[in-house]
Amino acid sequence: MNRFIPFFIISVLLISLVVANLLFGAVSLSLHDVFRGFQPGSDSYFTIHEYRLPRTLLAILVGAMLALAGALVQGVIRNPLASPDILGVSHGAGLAAVVYMIYFPHSSISWLPAVALVGGLCAALILWWLCGHRSSTIKLAITGVALATFYASTVDFLMLIKPLEINNALLWLTGSLWGRSWPQITMLLPWLVLIPCALYLAKSLNLIHLGEDTAISLGAKVNSLRLIALAIAVALTAAAVSICGPIGFLGLVAPHLARKLFGGRHQALLPATMLVGAVLLLMADLVARTIDPPIELPAGIMTAVLGAPYFLWLLIRTK
Amino acid sequence: MKHFLIMVLTCASALLFPGLSQAASDNGPHPKNTLDKPVTVQDSKGTFTIDYRPKRIVVLEFSFADALASVGVSPIGIADDKDPSRVLPAVRKIIKPWTSVGTRSQPSLETIAALKPDLIIADISRHAGVYADLQKIAPTLILPSRRETYQDSLKAAAIIGKVIGKNKKMQARLAKHQKIMAAYAKQLPKGVVVQFGVARDDALFLHTADSYAGGVIRALGLANAHTGRNDSAYRQTSLEQMLSINPDYLIIGNYTHPSIVDKWEKEPLWSVLKAAREHHIFYVNPNVWSRCRGIMAAERMGQDLVNVFHGNQIAAKP
Repeated sequence: MNRFIPFFIISVLLISLVVANLLFGAVSLSLHDVFRGFQPGSDSYFTIHEYRLPRTLLAILVGAMLALAGALVQGVIRNPLASPDILGVSHGAGLAAVVYMIYFPHSSISWLPAVALVGGLCAALILWWLCGHRSSTIKLAITGVALATFYASTVDFLMLIKPLEINNALLWLTGSLWGRSWPQITMLLPWLVLIPCALYLAKSLNLIHLGEDTAISLGAKVNSLRLIALAIAVALTAAAVSICGPIGFLGLVAPHLARKLFGGRHQALLPATMLVGAVLLLMADLVARTIDPPIELPAGIMTAVLGAPYFLWLLIRTK
Repeated sequence: MKHFLIMVLTCASALLFPGLSQAASDNGPHPKNTLDKPVTVQDSKGTFTIDYRPKRIVVLEFSFADALASVGVSPIGIADDKDPSRVLPAVRKIIKPWTSVGTRSQPSLETIAALKPDLIIADISRHAGVYADLQKIAPTLILPSRRETYQDSLKAAAIIGKVIGKNKKMQARLAKHQKIMAAYAKQLPKGVVVQFGVARDDALFLHTADSYAGGVIRALGLANAHTGRNDSAYRQTSLEQMLSINPDYLIIGNYTHPSIVDKWEKEPLWSVLKAAREHHIFYVNPNVWSRCRGIMAAERMGQDLVNVFHGNQIAAKP
């Protein structure tokens, strides 16, 4: 019973943040205006229906996807400091996006999500190719971090030799919900299939948590389970990053907070993580839009501002 | 998902606020001064047609504000990075107070929508990604600005002139611009190599022959320095590369104080530079030379160069 209280609180928080995201922005609207905004032809139709509503929904989707990916990776690697970043997916997507922006400056920007998606998935395939099916999680993590660093340094190199493109690339690399609307949501929808798949793995992830040997003796197929869970995490991250750019720290902080609030049982942890992730990104985007209007800060900066100190605190505590 | 949500919320709103749909329909489009013959121009996305004379214009780059001001038209909104001083002083003098719509890189679409513009002028380099959204707010003319050359900038101004129904005035202004620039060119020596660069705390970016500033320098009868192979418009340059480029005149815009140039001045290598030896290093306003672009910006740059070559003090303060 006790478990439902935090669930309830976080759901209420989510709903109030959705309302806040619709009400506030560079121009604050009344509740009345917000309702009118759903009707075509009204004054606030663009602001609400074409701008704030899709952006809010996107924040929920992307926040939930990145957080779920983080929880899966942390579950498999069995390390609270792990996150999808250590698989090099977001950096791979970033590299693909920057290469596309620098070397094809005149090609359509609408291809950018597809390019980033392919980059992210390729990064995961390279990692898999290097580590193989049955390698230890440590090898996987270290190889992943090394690859991620390699991609990041390649991005830096490209931006140094092509300074003209730096603004657009940097903007994309900080992760932002600016300029995203219904088409981007439609692109994300097919990937939501992965969420029930991930939830289906919850029980087996609990077994992995007991240690590899115990899990095997309890009947879990650890290797294939790990592969499936990581593949889902990779796909979720690549899809989310391809739309919004790599929004930092969300995949790390959200599962961690959720574990604090709801405990480590994956049946509760996975849905809770998605809620926390959605709440965090909604909050970040709300702050990013309202802190100094009409300036729009990228939401990725906000999550980094929140996430980096949390990460440090985590590092110090786990020592 | 989308439709379901809209349905739920519309039902809720209909229940909560009866008579709402009535209110919504009162807000018709703006009264527009319809033209007899629609104006059609080519912009960066193809054909742009407008059948009325726009009155409420939002511009998302400084060069477009410059073009409007050149024919005495005030934009109602400018993406000025929330810093009005970034708009060229000469432009500020002409136009009426405007609303900032945020940064040029990520302008606030809801602020733009709240201004109810009837024309948006956007930059293909920065705003291609939100072109569809901008069009939902108002007809959007999308032209080059960030990557543009001096000639591109003048072409863009001519297109803007047509779209806002001031073609004649714009053509006259452009002809006057050519005269002004020719007058400046007469006061300047021919073929002297002039290089402009903006200096930050840790880097100097030279604006090459392909850049806007490079084009203005050439248009004034001066010469561009050879900055190296396959130039892009801006090129980060080290002190040693600077020596091999070695222009006759070096024009610097400092974004920060002290900038990297201030640090380099203390290095022995710096004193070998031709411009340093002959005291031909001058400081200009980096905002005017790098960010503004446009008709009046080019004229101000010409004035600056005349001052440089005639030994007058120029205002370098941003």
